[in-house]
Amino acid sequence: MSTATAEATPMVEARGVCKSFAGVEVLKGVDLVVKRGEVTCLIGPSGSGKSTLLRCINHLEKHDAGELRVDGHLVGYEYRDGKLYERNDKQICAERAKIGMVFQRFNLFQHLTVLDNVTIGQVKVRRVGGDQAAVRAKELLARVGLAGKEGAYPSQLSGGQQQRVAIARALAMEPKLMLFDEPTSALDPELVGEVLDVMKDLARSGMTMVVVTHEMGFAREVADTVYFLDHGVIEESGDPREVLTAPRSERLKGFLSKVL
Amino acid sequence: MTTNGGDAVKVVPVRHVGRWIGAVVMVVLAVMLLHTLLFTSRFTWSIVFHYFGTSEIIQGVVKTLELTVLAMIIGIALGVAIAIMRLSPNRLLSAPAWAYTWFFRGTPVYVQLLFWFNIAALFPQLSIGIPFVHAAFLRFNAGNFFTPFNAAFIGLGLNEAAYMSEIARSGLISVDEGQIEAASSLGMRRSQTLRLVVLPQAMRVIIPPTGNEVISMLKTTSLASAISVIETLGAAQNIYAANYEVMPLLITASLWYLVVTTVLSIGQFYLERHFAKGAHRTPPPTPIARLKADVRGIAGKFRTRRGVVAEVVA
Repeated sequence: MSTATAEATPMVEARGVCKSFAGVEVLKGVDLVVKRGEVTCLIGPSGSGKSTLLRCINHLEKHDAGELRVDGHLVGYEYRDGKLYERNDKQICAERAKIGMVFQRFNLFQHLTVLDNVTIGQVKVRRVGGDQAAVRAKELLARVGLAGKEGAYPSQLSGGQQQRVAIARALAMEPKLMLFDEPTSALDPELVGEVLDVMKDLARSGMTMVVVTHEMGFAREVADTVYFLDHGVIEESGDPREVLTAPRSERLKGFLSKVL
Repeated sequence: MTTNGGDAVKVVPVRHVGRWIGAVVMVVLAVMLLHTLLFTSRFTWSIVFHYFGTSEIIQGVVKTLELTVLAMIIGIALGVAIAIMRLSPNRLLSAPAWAYTWFFRGTPVYVQLLFWFNIAALFPQLSIGIPFVHAAFLRFNAGNFFTPFNAAFIGLGLNEAAYMSEIARSGLISVDEGQIEAASSLGMRRSQTLRLVVLPQAMRVIIPPTGNEVISMLKTTSLASAISVIETLGAAQNIYAANYEVMPLLITASLWYLVVTTVLSIGQFYLERHFAKGAHRTPPPTPIARLKADVRGIAGKFRTRRGVVAEVVA
């Protein structure tokens, strides 16, 4: 990282990010750096603020203080003439379209077929033609192992299949960054593997990923960096082999003893 | 059925005595009703059916349908807009939406109709222009514009909007928050999210009570006869004012309302089926499919019953 080219700018950079809900401080000054092409896992007990941090990155939640940059640009604001200007709805939507997000509860559009779920963003936001979008959608569905399910409705699929459609839906936007909010937490145990396999494949293809997860095996195997959050602060971070096998803080030791 | 060492045993069904008594009572009541309808001379069915197809009544039915359609168009369009306003985080939008519903739901629709019918007494001149300065692009006479028919459909529509807004609101809030987040994360604008994701899913909740409202509106339009609109009831009244056949003509009007309501109910069923896409693993059967299944089921029941007995005999 000696050259200051665009390639060297981190994909996500957070400095002192704070967020409160109704007076309760959920994030208390979080620093985080996600490099391009790397997989970052956020771990921690429930209520530690890891999902909130993830949601701040694509501005589903508005952070109260601190600096949050994606691809070098401030999230939700523009810095001009010594002032911060709030971005309008249109600009925020344009930024979000380049960041894919996968939710714990899949959130597939229930009234649309699998194919339409994967084409709707391309057609309505990226303004890709319908035929081209369908071709791309079929490629992506094949990639996540769901070729032939194009005509099904989400309610006709298993949780694991729904989550893989949700990944395809996010990838259809050709994102530069993918956010995963506990993607396997709502799945039956035997369905977790099929979703993690798709995510591993995605990581190998060089996608920049931020993953909130309780799957320590996945974090150890795939992540380049692990962040451990507790009570709204980063307690520990670094290489997963070090952080997860030789934790320094008592809190991380306690957390790992419960989840492993 | 293999309790007797593998041999088939006859199954004796439970006798539902209460059910049989109930059925007999209902049949007797039905026969009594039929008898009354057919043999009470004052019903004079010949008059009922004579007027059923006359042009005066048909024109009245057409007016009823026109009023229903126009009032419901106003009601649904304005109702959805009010519901969206009501859900806005901006109090200057949500408060007026609340006030609208409060006012139009809180006063009788009959009074509202009389109000619009007599609006010229309050505002003889209506104009569209720039507020507070006396520059008008369009100026018209209220008495000419608010004809009985216009007063009726506008009055009914504005009143309906209050009820439709609550129906639309319940539909909109029934859609899971996650759907909106997913749409946002794809970069959809608020208006796109509403149009492409929220409204189509809200429709499933909105349609059944809206069907109810359409049927209710069909009958409420009869109030328009009080402000001299000649719709179905008004036409019937005009006829019986001349020939004094009050009861037969009220039955004629009622039969027409029943016919239209039946058609609307069938339409509602198929509309609900359309918007239930994706909500069920298998779509609900059509009434015809259900009837076929029932017939097959009863036939099957007889077959198995005979089959069981035959096995024992063998």
